[in-house]
Amino acid sequence: MAAAAATAATKGNGGGSGRVGAGDSSGARKKKGPGPVATAYLVIYNVVMTAGWLVIAVGLVRAYLAKGSYHSLYYSIERPLKFFQTGALLEILHCAIGIVPSSVVLTSFQVMSRVFLIWAVTHSVKEVQSEDSVLLFVIAWTITEIIRYSFYTFSLLNHLPYIIKWARYTLFIVLYPMGVTGELLTIYAALPFVRQAGLYSISLPNKYNFSFDYHAFLILIMISYIPLFPQLYFHMIHQRRKVLSHTEEHKKFE
Amino acid sequence: MFKRHKSLERKRELLFQGLPQSTMKNNARNFHSLSQLVLSAGPLKTTTAVKHSKTTHFEIEILDAHTRKQICIVDKVTQTSTIHDVKQKFHKACPKWYPSRIGLQLEYGGPYLRDYITVQSVAASSIITLYFTDLGQQVGWTTVFLAEYSGPLLIYLLFYLRSSYIYDVKESTRWPRHPVVHLAFFCHCIHYIRLLLETLFVHKVSTGHSPMKNLIKGCAFYWGFTSWMAYYINHPRYTPPSFGNRQVIVSAINFLFCEAGNHFINTVLAHPNHTGSNACFPSPNYNPFTWLFFLVSCPNYTYEIGSWISFTVMTQTLPVGIFTILMTIQMSLWARKKHKIYRKKFNSYVHRKSAIIPLIL
Repeated sequence: MAAAAATAATKGNGGGSGRVGAGDSSGARKKKGPGPVATAYLVIYNVVMTAGWLVIAVGLVRAYLAKGSYHSLYYSIERPLKFFQTGALLEILHCAIGIVPSSVVLTSFQVMSRVFLIWAVTHSVKEVQSEDSVLLFVIAWTITEIIRYSFYTFSLLNHLPYIIKWARYTLFIVLYPMGVTGELLTIYAALPFVRQAGLYSISLPNKYNFSFDYHAFLILIMISYIPLFPQLYFHMIHQRRKVLSHTEEHKKFE
Repeated sequence: MFKRHKSLERKRELLFQGLPQSTMKNNARNFHSLSQLVLSAGPLKTTTAVKHSKTTHFEIEILDAHTRKQICIVDKVTQTSTIHDVKQKFHKACPKWYPSRIGLQLEYGGPYLRDYITVQSVAASSIITLYFTDLGQQVGWTTVFLAEYSGPLLIYLLFYLRSSYIYDVKESTRWPRHPVVHLAFFCHCIHYIRLLLETLFVHKVSTGHSPMKNLIKGCAFYWGFTSWMAYYINHPRYTPPSFGNRQVIVSAINFLFCEAGNHFINTVLAHPNHTGSNACFPSPNYNPFTWLFFLVSCPNYTYEIGSWISFTVMTQTLPVGIFTILMTIQMSLWARKKHKIYRKKFNSYVHRKSAIIPLIL
């Protein structure tokens, strides 16, 4: 989903400021950055998530080599994908508690949109699981998340390799449109099955005098990508210019 | 040879670094000379003013809040002048911005100065620096309320009439409106007509203004929810309340009770003694509907919530329920805020009183 990039960028910056805070006196540290316990927890969380998405990546590669074809690879990584993507809900909690200085709303939007795609679309409409578009967003997500979580891990440890920073602010150029394309195609493929089955829909008459058309809702979601994608994509490009050019200046100075 | 080459490179680096430093120095000098010029200019003018009129005049320098560039200087400002007067003079100098969209701050990021504040009270010297922000297009509060409340009236009517653009003609013909639908239409109209009439004839509206985007947000909220709830209440396949006429009649009576209560509270609040910055806190009078003041600080909000709860029960429609919840949350926040203000302002205020829901909140 489009929000992923913006949230990621925000978190990255937030993490940076957190580190700066930690560098100050212990008093300042308590106020500004996450405490040592919170930092330790976050490191563990990010390491686990990095490992989790690596498991998915390895699973994909092994399945591909075993089958000799990229069709229907989803079934090979379905469970870990659901587990680790749903596990990302904890990040909303991190923001709410305040140990991660990111917007709760933005993070919620990002995580919920992915969880929604996993459970309410891919899981619920069995027919789309064999679509190539699922593979498209799964691969994009996997690579993005491995980079993102390792970025956070190293940031929290105050030792961020340049290559990870570079990957973080460069690979999205391809991965982001790739993921969005996969998401949109998957939702599109699900539409006829949703309409046919009346999935998750409520119709009148009923005593609550309320109706909900999941088919129309999905179309609405697809339409919402139009204003959201460019906004967030160019935000990330702007972020990239800022972060990487700063690094270059630093190099020149040295 | 190699060593010499290295030393040459070092020299070049030094030269390169030196350049920006000299540039910075030049900038610093310019800044100092400018500030000195400003400082030297001030006292002279002040002295002149004193000699001529024997009263203190202020000179106000107005800078753009973002760029820090000087926009203009407002002079010959008397010590009894208010921020409002400053804005008027500023508007004359820069016609582009009318007074209500001028935001003035004493310091960057500080609060906007209220119109009634006197220049003397914020002056540290005879030269005052204020930061200007363009607040965007402004509309009066009356306009905001009239727009927000007239929309629901018209929109609901469209759904009530079951236009063929909205509902299927065959279904509309096959399923005539249930009596509760007519009653709901009547109650909905009463609510918004009351709001419109009170806006025009009862409320004392603040002299402040509201940004255009607030107007848009408010209208989107009210008009959007009205469309949503009206669609289901007036739908051909509408299902009447579970407990039949009893549920409808009891709810309707309670609705009318709350509407009446809300109205009477608003007339009390609009009384001259309860408006403006010198208001004393409102209190109950001979009218029984005002006795809720004994229990809560903002009975108008209490009655408002009561109306919507009644409307929800009367129609038994989920969208109305959702709207009621959102309204309750918003009004609770407003009521708490007001309750806090009352406490601060009036020492004799009864502390056990609740903000909006008796004994609870």
